[in-house]
Amino acid sequence: MIDLKVTEIKMGEEHVGKWGMVIDQDMCTGCQACVAACAMENNITFVGEKDSGYGRSMHWIRIERFWQGEYPEIKMTPNQPMMCQQCGSATCEPVCPAFATVHSQAEQLNLQVYNRCVGTRYCANNCPYQVRSFNWRDYKRPEPLANQFNPDVTVRRRGVMEKCTFCIQRIHKAEDKAKSEGREVVDGEFTTACAQACPATAITFGRVDDPESLVSQLARRHGHGVKHLEELGTLPNVTYFKGG
Amino acid sequence: MSDKFSRRDFLKLAGVGAATTAVLTGCGPASRYVKREPYLQMPEYNYNGLSTFYATTCRECAAGCGLVVRTMQGRALKTEGNANNPLNLGKTCARGQATLHGLYNPNRVRGPIKHSRGDRLYETAADPFNDDFNDSEANMNWDDATQAVADVLKKYQPGEIAFLLGMAPDHLFDLVADLASATGINAPVRFGALSMFESRATLSQAAENLFGESGLPFFDVGGAQAVFSFGANFLETWLSPVSYTRGYAGLRQALTKMRGTLVQFESRMSSTAGKADEWLPIRPGTEAMVALAIGRLVSEKRGGTIPRAFADVEPADAAAASGIALETLEHLAETFASSGAPLAIPGGAALGQSNGLAVAEAVLALNALADNFGKPGGVFFSALAPNQASYQRPASAREMQEFVQKMADGKIKALFVHGVNPAFELPASLDFKNALKNVEQVISFATFPDETAVEADYVFPDHHGLESWGYQRVTTGSAQPVLSGAQPVVSPYYDTRATADVLITAAQLAGGNFASALPFKDEVEFIKSKVSNLMGEADGYFSAPDADTFMAYFQQYGGWWKTSDGRSTPNSAEALNRDLSGAESEFTGAGEFFFIPFVSPTLAEAGANKPWLQELPDPTTTVMWNTWVEMNPATALELGIEDDDVIRITSDAGVLEAPVYRYPAIRPDTIAMPFGQGHTAYGRYAENRGVNPVDLIGQHFNEAGDLAFAGMKVKIEKTGRKQLLSRLESIMGVYGVGLGQE
Repeated sequence: MIDLKVTEIKMGEEHVGKWGMVIDQDMCTGCQACVAACAMENNITFVGEKDSGYGRSMHWIRIERFWQGEYPEIKMTPNQPMMCQQCGSATCEPVCPAFATVHSQAEQLNLQVYNRCVGTRYCANNCPYQVRSFNWRDYKRPEPLANQFNPDVTVRRRGVMEKCTFCIQRIHKAEDKAKSEGREVVDGEFTTACAQACPATAITFGRVDDPESLVSQLARRHGHGVKHLEELGTLPNVTYFKGG
Repeated sequence: MSDKFSRRDFLKLAGVGAATTAVLTGCGPASRYVKREPYLQMPEYNYNGLSTFYATTCRECAAGCGLVVRTMQGRALKTEGNANNPLNLGKTCARGQATLHGLYNPNRVRGPIKHSRGDRLYETAADPFNDDFNDSEANMNWDDATQAVADVLKKYQPGEIAFLLGMAPDHLFDLVADLASATGINAPVRFGALSMFESRATLSQAAENLFGESGLPFFDVGGAQAVFSFGANFLETWLSPVSYTRGYAGLRQALTKMRGTLVQFESRMSSTAGKADEWLPIRPGTEAMVALAIGRLVSEKRGGTIPRAFADVEPADAAAASGIALETLEHLAETFASSGAPLAIPGGAALGQSNGLAVAEAVLALNALADNFGKPGGVFFSALAPNQASYQRPASAREMQEFVQKMADGKIKALFVHGVNPAFELPASLDFKNALKNVEQVISFATFPDETAVEADYVFPDHHGLESWGYQRVTTGSAQPVLSGAQPVVSPYYDTRATADVLITAAQLAGGNFASALPFKDEVEFIKSKVSNLMGEADGYFSAPDADTFMAYFQQYGGWWKTSDGRSTPNSAEALNRDLSGAESEFTGAGEFFFIPFVSPTLAEAGANKPWLQELPDPTTTVMWNTWVEMNPATALELGIEDDDVIRITSDAGVLEAPVYRYPAIRPDTIAMPFGQGHTAYGRYAENRGVNPVDLIGQHFNEAGDLAFAGMKVKIEKTGRKQLLSRLESIMGVYGVGLGQE
């Protein structure tokens, strides 16, 4: 059984996570609802056909699928939603000359501070999961599309790197509310945009350091979770159930 | 409703002040007049930084999922599923998420327009992403527009007036149906490309033939242990995708029961087939024979007499015809026979063939053999919505052909179109656009400047779904009978008007039968008249002491539904005691390739104008923003075709050109193409992008009158051109691979 909380010490580091995700690849149908939900929640721009063909699309979450075998014995690998793994020992962090990508001690997340970012793109080069996207242009969102912007999330401009934040605006909102009511945040009180939309409930978000949280319970029940590229010692906070 | 009526007044009147402070705040009719304010200026009912949430219904497809929309300062910011609505239980699909890109789309019809047919409704620009191009200005006021509708109603004989509506059985359909039955105008016709590709008429006809009762079958995927899907793309757009996806999650849920199996018979691997444990690339047209062969093998394993339905089929012949080995068929039969809860689902391209009805019957017969009717994991008749007497299916393609013929013959002199875009969605071979020339008055109520609006004399835009009142009957997907309620979550952005209001006012102006058919002050009063009678019904999710309170709750919860199971059990007594045909389907056209059009899982029929839907990668190919042709790599190698080579496809009905995507999971003798692109209007993000496969489809139908859209063979030839497809997969870890060099 995988312990969500403590990733095995491989690089001489120990990491106790806080927020985490479990993703059941057997459930994921690849429907892209999470991708659309993420874009709507986080003011992610669309880039158009040409730029997306150059690989400049701004998806913070994408569904990977690969092929196994050849026709007619061909299989699609289980759909794999891939987003920032919120590593405990993130490879993107030490390479940023501007301290734009820093580790939050309070939330145990990788932050991206947009107004510090100078666009060196070192972090994206160093991310083994390829989940960071760069604003190559000021992409135009003609009026009145801007009415849809979520006021809780910064709108990024050209030259800035961005990535999945685990919907930190939702985390903060829930924490503020709990604090004002003098209590702790309850598991399931809020969730990320992707997990909320997912029609197959493949994505679950919650506290990995709470053994009673839903993510911990799922991990216990499944017992065969996988962390991606674990051998690199990145200590990710996202766990995948390969399913099947 | 008076616009002097503030929200606070309404709350006092309705007497549910306490209830409305809950998160799922119900809002009074006054919400229609919530104004957009600068973020610094807070209206009295808003706290700084707090959002208001409204429950409504998603209008992106006809399923009728409940939404809760987060708004702030009169702007809609995010759609989430309504957790109370039994159909979707808080979940949405990608299209539901992107509905805001429809609401705030830069190309909408901004007010009532009289224009010459064929004229554009917005200016074009060289680069849709960087140049502004504006919508046409409204050139009428609504008083004149309503008068124009009234004049049309008065001018023509009732039999010469027709309404073509969208697929959803909603309040507008009820309103027009009431108007039609009182005045003798043609009963409203509901149609959508999705119903065409889902072959809904075939499903209900097969049910009637086997069970003696018409209805839309509901397949309980979640409770099943082995699901055999014959072409049903239930994880994409089929019938009620969010609900069926939940069913799929239940099938796979391995924590409380054994993990269920999914077997998919399909000539190309759809994203549903991609999730299957076994994908069988069946030869198109042999689905009926294979279903019967499996039925026979299962009966043989069980011993006893072989039911009449399966008596005539020879499994070895089925194996030879379908390209599935006999051993595989036997092993599948073993899976089906030994499963605790087997389920067989007919759908998709399997029904869109000349023998589609036989396929549906053969597959339903497998369920009869499994004797799973009315049992968990089995087949039911879908629950009828609370205010519905019987299942009313949308028009089949053959009925649409008759409708278009009436237009062409000049029997329809005035046509009203709402919620559907027939100039784009109907096969070009039906020649809707030409038939339209023989219709004297065409009035479109389109929200977006679509192809049909361009061909209309008047465009009287309806609000966007998130700006409008309404209700929608849920036709399938929920065990409980559900009436999804809709209310405006923002005030209308443009000078649009609810079509129901236009019709009610125009009917008053027209007088006579028309006025007495719709004796309502406005749309809201009409909805109230239809909904408040549910107040006394048993098993309601909520009840209320008076009609006003009931309506307030109806808005607050986003509809009304029963807490009891409303599904009925088909009578399977005689289902197996009849001859079923396993004959192969007939294909038209002279080419060497089977041609399978399928609905794009992300765009569907009306998503192309929403930029984020365009930028969603297709789940199987990861292509964005365009149309592709799927071809097996071995075939491509043989023909000397590479990725992005444009090929010309010729059917007996038309010619199209599109770039090839070498798709490793498609039969070598089959090519496939997604439906959803190929618009000639419909806004800057949709226009001149890709091609529309319905241009290749001829007028071929199955016995139930549905279109035999997958019953064609086509010729292909190289054009020597290349068109680079934008796709997500090429960039994964590979820099420098994309649309070529900059």
